[in-house]
Amino acid sequence: MMELKDLENSFIRKFSVNKTVWMYLFSVCFVLSTALLGLFVSSVSFPLTAVLDVIAEKILGSELFGYEAAENIDVIIWEIRVPRVILALFVGASLSIAGASFQGLLRNPLADPYTIGVSSGAALGAVAVLYFQLSIAFLGSYTLPVVAILSGFITMMIVFIITRLSSRDLNIETIILAGIIISAFIGAIISLVIALSDREDMRQILYWLMGNIGMRGWNHVQLIIPFFIVGVILLVSRAHDLNAYALGEEAAGHLGVKVHAGKVLILIGASLLTGASVAVSGSIGFVGLVIPHFVRLIIGPDHKHVLPLSMLTGGGFLVLADLISRSIIAPKELPIGVITALIGAPIFAVLLVRERMKKG
Amino acid sequence: MIEVKNLSGGYQKEDILQDISLTIEEGEFFALIGPNGSGKTTLLRLMTGALEPSHGSVYVSGKPIQSYSFRKKAEIMAVLAQSSHVEFDFSVEEIVMLGRYPHQKGLIKHISSRDKEVVSKVMKQTEVYHYRNKPFKWLSGGEKQRVLLAKALAQEPSILFLDEPTNHLDVKHTVDMLQHLKEHQKKNKMTIIAILHDLNTAALFADKFAALHQGRLMKKGDLSVLKNETLLQKVYEVDIKHHSHPTLAKPQMLVAPEKMEHPKLPAFEAEVEQNEQYIRIAYPRPLRVLSNAVVGGGLQWFRHFCNFHVPKNYDCEDPAADVLGWLEEANISVGDTMGMMTAVKLADQAFVRETIMDTAVFTVVTGGVGNAVDITENHPAEEEWQVGTINIMVFLDVHLTDGAFVNAVQSATEAKTKALADMQVTDPATGSMATGTSTDSIAIAATQQGESTPYAGSGTKVGKAIGQSVYRAVTEAVENYRHRISG
Repeated sequence: MMELKDLENSFIRKFSVNKTVWMYLFSVCFVLSTALLGLFVSSVSFPLTAVLDVIAEKILGSELFGYEAAENIDVIIWEIRVPRVILALFVGASLSIAGASFQGLLRNPLADPYTIGVSSGAALGAVAVLYFQLSIAFLGSYTLPVVAILSGFITMMIVFIITRLSSRDLNIETIILAGIIISAFIGAIISLVIALSDREDMRQILYWLMGNIGMRGWNHVQLIIPFFIVGVILLVSRAHDLNAYALGEEAAGHLGVKVHAGKVLILIGASLLTGASVAVSGSIGFVGLVIPHFVRLIIGPDHKHVLPLSMLTGGGFLVLADLISRSIIAPKELPIGVITALIGAPIFAVLLVRERMKKG
Repeated sequence: MIEVKNLSGGYQKEDILQDISLTIEEGEFFALIGPNGSGKTTLLRLMTGALEPSHGSVYVSGKPIQSYSFRKKAEIMAVLAQSSHVEFDFSVEEIVMLGRYPHQKGLIKHISSRDKEVVSKVMKQTEVYHYRNKPFKWLSGGEKQRVLLAKALAQEPSILFLDEPTNHLDVKHTVDMLQHLKEHQKKNKMTIIAILHDLNTAALFADKFAALHQGRLMKKGDLSVLKNETLLQKVYEVDIKHHSHPTLAKPQMLVAPEKMEHPKLPAFEAEVEQNEQYIRIAYPRPLRVLSNAVVGGGLQWFRHFCNFHVPKNYDCEDPAADVLGWLEEANISVGDTMGMMTAVKLADQAFVRETIMDTAVFTVVTGGVGNAVDITENHPAEEEWQVGTINIMVFLDVHLTDGAFVNAVQSATEAKTKALADMQVTDPATGSMATGTSTDSIAIAATQQGESTPYAGSGTKVGKAIGQSVYRAVTEAVENYRHRISG
């Protein structure tokens, strides 16, 4: 009897280990295939071999298929499509891992860069930089992401202060409410700035605000990379602590987690990723909310897997969303934020209802 | 060893705790007791370093608690707090595994085989092993509590802090959990510091106690803290009496609400029912009674007092079961009744009702002296249970302390012996004066009205009243018996 039970248990364990391995395999394949698709599918289509040749030549120095590519194909693929796909990957990965971390730290499945106000704060910073054409001397082109990150972080702090003042702990619903209030307020300020301005480029800023990764080049990829690396290292190294936070901060402290320092590092890491993403692509909603939720549903709540898998899945997801946004009404483009909201909101609603039904 | 020196602290600017000093020795089970809001949880949080004190300090093994790193602290102390909210669908095993955090070194927390071993051991000990794959969220309050205990034990702490660990637990799991902790305490020299609401549980399991009241330490010490009724009255602001546990050398605390005193008896009048099979004395409300009756012996409260007649050749294998059977047959409430038995004809009984020296006494005696014995002589005592031959029930309209009940038994026995002596009753085996019969029964019942009387010996009014009443009743009953035998 006992043996049978043990056998069954070891089977379950093996199965769940396998599930994690499968999930990693699936995510990697998902990223690779969406990236290829993103390079291949467009209003102007080239043969797949041409696409691969251009990339191989740039990276390996020699062509794979000997496809005689015209000069303009080379430019379109290497200067436009490749950075666009890579940017989508980085932004999707950043928003997803930031969302997963916010949720773990705040013990709040509804927290994400968007709902707690970091995105709007960063957007305000970015708009300010664009509007006043700011450039801080030693930062140069990095003025945009740095200001976006800082204003995102400050906004988040304001949200926390409001939450703390209105309820004793960082209550789930209160944070979201405070986040929405601040976002609405910031949105109004941005609209005001745009309305009062008669400059032509403001329309463009508005369009950019809704989330857009078109018309970006390698320079934008450069902008996000350093913040991406630092942010991801900060968060992934705290994955184990995030599990302990699920018990509450005091209990995590009793387990030996350096609660205060850890919290600050996680918030900084997530803000870096969010701010940098907003700086290069505007505010894109729902990715940070839906992707971690989806990953947890499949492999469970262990942050050691939730963080990397959210990154992979989120990156692939955003490439796919970008692909849809530029092909659905081609040759015109939709803002990518519209697509993520159109896909994300219903999925999230379904997930919420399912969760409630599971609880009975 | 944990030393708390002149500790004050609380939340924001207000100090909840004031100037607490105490020492907890290694391997002790230390209970913090006190009413809600007395500062127990605050003290616990100050001791674990979760809260900064405003004055004073806490030393663990001689070093200030602040000097320990987070991880070092988690290696030696674990905390089971009151709240048990866990976000996300972590499984029971994953939660318990979190307890291994302080033992997992390095940047990448690898789960070692020892971690797995400890986790499955503590899960078995706390009886959560069989649902280790279930999500923690889905468990009941009691199950959650046990999982969190398992997590705390997985830390392998030498000091364990518990904030009301038995909240949400049923009686079985409360006892199991504390018994289990007690074993841990003994085997691993683990120090346990627990906030316990239930004083009786605290009395059973803890070694040392500290009573808090309005942020101050009122008293610390061993079980004597719990036996201090004046202290408990002051701390809890409710009347608490203690009583000894029937099988363990531990006190048990009983609350005595003021508004729940027993109703006053309109008159000290008993209802008496008598037939061939039994005599039943009944009062409108229970009386406190000390007796050696077959059913309902010891110190109890009863409304009905019965004396059953049995034949001379009665098979006394299980007299208690027989009495219970007869009570049911006669439709007398079993839980409310004390039952004796006698082979003496019930018709030989004596009822003596009088007021002696301001004390209303009612004595009922059935008496036979066939088995008269001189207790000072050395002939073999009857091994088996025999039918009682002089059964005395004394009902008093007084308020006796437990000690006074023993006095009363003594007074009644002296009077009985005097009566037998005056009637020249002798032990047939030795021919010397009998002091009683081989299987006498006695019951002293009091209404517990009025001022409490600490003594009821021969030097007191109550003692005299008992003595005189019993003397008369025994004399009358034995005379009736002799009269019938000779007649």
